[in-house]
Amino acid sequence: MKKKGLRFYAGIYFRILAQDLKSKMSYRADFIISTIGMIFTNISGFVSFWILFRSFPSVNGWSYHEMLFLYGFSLVSLTPVQCLFDNNWSLRQYVYSGDFIKYCFRPINLFFYYQSEVFDIKGLGQLAFGIGTIAYSWGKIGLAFTPLMLIKLIVFLMTASLIMIALQNAGAATCFWIQNSFYVLDLAFRFKDYAKYPITIFSPVFRFIFTFLIPIAFIAYYPSLVILRPDQVPLLSWLSPLVGIVFFWLSYKLWMYGATKYSGTGS
Amino acid sequence: MKLKKYLTLTRAGIIEALQFRLATVVMVIGNLLYLIVVYFLWKAIYASAGTDVVNGMTFSDTLVYLVLATALFNFMEMYTVWEIGRSIQSGKIILDLIKPIEYRKYLFWSYSGTFVTQFLFTFLPTFIVVAAVTHGAIHLGVNLLFFAAAVVMAVSINYSIDFLVGTVCLFTESIWGINIMKQVIVLLLSGATIPLAFFPEKLRSVVELLPFAAIYDVPLRFLLWDGISMEPQEPWCMLLFQLFWCLVMMILSKLFWKASLRQITVNGG
Repeated sequence: MKKKGLRFYAGIYFRILAQDLKSKMSYRADFIISTIGMIFTNISGFVSFWILFRSFPSVNGWSYHEMLFLYGFSLVSLTPVQCLFDNNWSLRQYVYSGDFIKYCFRPINLFFYYQSEVFDIKGLGQLAFGIGTIAYSWGKIGLAFTPLMLIKLIVFLMTASLIMIALQNAGAATCFWIQNSFYVLDLAFRFKDYAKYPITIFSPVFRFIFTFLIPIAFIAYYPSLVILRPDQVPLLSWLSPLVGIVFFWLSYKLWMYGATKYSGTGS
Repeated sequence: MKLKKYLTLTRAGIIEALQFRLATVVMVIGNLLYLIVVYFLWKAIYASAGTDVVNGMTFSDTLVYLVLATALFNFMEMYTVWEIGRSIQSGKIILDLIKPIEYRKYLFWSYSGTFVTQFLFTFLPTFIVVAAVTHGAIHLGVNLLFFAAAVVMAVSINYSIDFLVGTVCLFTESIWGINIMKQVIVLLLSGATIPLAFFPEKLRSVVELLPFAAIYDVPLRFLLWDGISMEPQEPWCMLLFQLFWCLVMMILSKLFWKASLRQITVNGG
C-alpha cells in the first residue's frame, strides 16, 4: 500500500471531525451537562489547590505561584489526550462486541482512523483554564516574556502532552488481551492528578519510579523547569521532548500490535 | 423471611465481585500509588509549615484521615448513578421496575455483596495496617462503636444522594456529566480529598452543615477521637446530625423517585 501524505490525513481528519460534532450536537442536553461537569471538575481542582497551599508561603522550595504554574502547565499538557484521544475509553466495548472489525477494513492507518472518530470538545474548557493559570502565574512570578520563551513553552507543552497520550494508549490497548481493561485505563488516567506536584517532594526511589517507569514527572515537572528555572535546567528537562516522542511511539506500536492480534468475535 | 430475599442478592453480589479479581489487583495498585503521592505531598506540606500540628491535626492524624477516607470511598462507591443511567438507556430498568421489590431497595441490596467483599478485602486490611503503623493515632475504644454507627449512616446518606442524582438521569440522558458533578462535589465537600479542618474558617462553617460532611468527615473524626478532644455531648450531636441528614436524604430521594417515575419514558428495550 502506498503511503499517504500528511495533507490527505489532515483532510480526512477534519471531515470525520465535522461528522462527530454534528452527531454530538444532536444530544444537546448531554453536551451542555457534560461541559458543566467538566467546568466543575476544574473549579474543584482549583479550590483544592487553594485550600491546600494558601497558608504556606512555599512547599519544598516551590513558591505558591510556581506551584500554580506547574498546575496550569499540567492542565494544558493534558488537554490533547482529553480532546483527541477520548475514543480510547470505548475501545474495550468495540473489541468486546466485535464492532472493532469495522476499523480494520479501511485503507488508512488503523490507529489514526480509530482515534480521529471522536473529538471531545469538553477538553477545550480545560485548555482555557490552563492557559489562564499559566498566564496569571507567569505575571506573578515576574518571568520575562520573549518570543523564544513562548516557542519553548509551546514545544515543551506539546511534547509533554505525548506522555499522557502514551499512557492512555497503552492502558486502552490492554483490552486486546484482558477482558475488563477499564480498571487499567482508569489507573493510567488517575496518574494525571499526580503530575501537578514537583517531583522533588518524593523520596529518591519514587522519584526514579515516577521519572523512568511511570513517566508522570515529564507531564509537567521537567518540561516546566525550562521556563521556571532557566538558569539551572537539568538534562532530563532537555530530554523531555525526546521522552515524550519515544513513549508515544512505543504506545503506538503496542496498540497496533494488539490490533493485529485482534481476531474478532466471529459475528 | 423478608431478610432472606435481600441476603440472596448480597450473596449473588459477592460471587459476582469475586469474578473480577484482576480488577481488584489493579485497583489496589492504583490506591497504593495514590497513597504514596498523598504521603509525600503532606509530608512536604508539614515540613514547610514548620510546626507539628496544623489546624489541630498532626501529620499522622492527617494521613490516617486521608488513607481511611480512600478506603471508605472504595467501600461506599456503588456506581449507582451509572447503574441507573445505563438501565434507563438500555431499557433494562423496566424489568427491574416490575420486580416485586422496590427499585431503590433492589439496587441497594444487589450491591450489598460488594460491600461485604470490599469491607473484608480493602477496608479491614487498610484499617489494621494503619492502626499498626501509626501506633495509637487510632484509639481503640468506645469511639470504634461510634465509628461503626457513623459508617452505617454514611453509607445510607451516600446511597440516597447517589439515588437522587441517578433519578435525574431519567430526565437528562446524560450520565457522565451528572455523575462527575456529583462526584466532584461529594469528594471535595465531604473532606475525602482534603480534611475539612484545613478549610478556611468561613467556608468550613458552611460545609460542616451540609450532608456531605456526614459521609466522610464525621466517621473519620470519630476514628481520630481519643476520648478527651471533644466535649462529652459532641459525639452525640454528630450522630444526631448524621441521623437528621440520613432521614432527610432518604425521604427526599424516595419522593423524587416517585414523582419522576410518573414521567418516565424509556425506549422499548
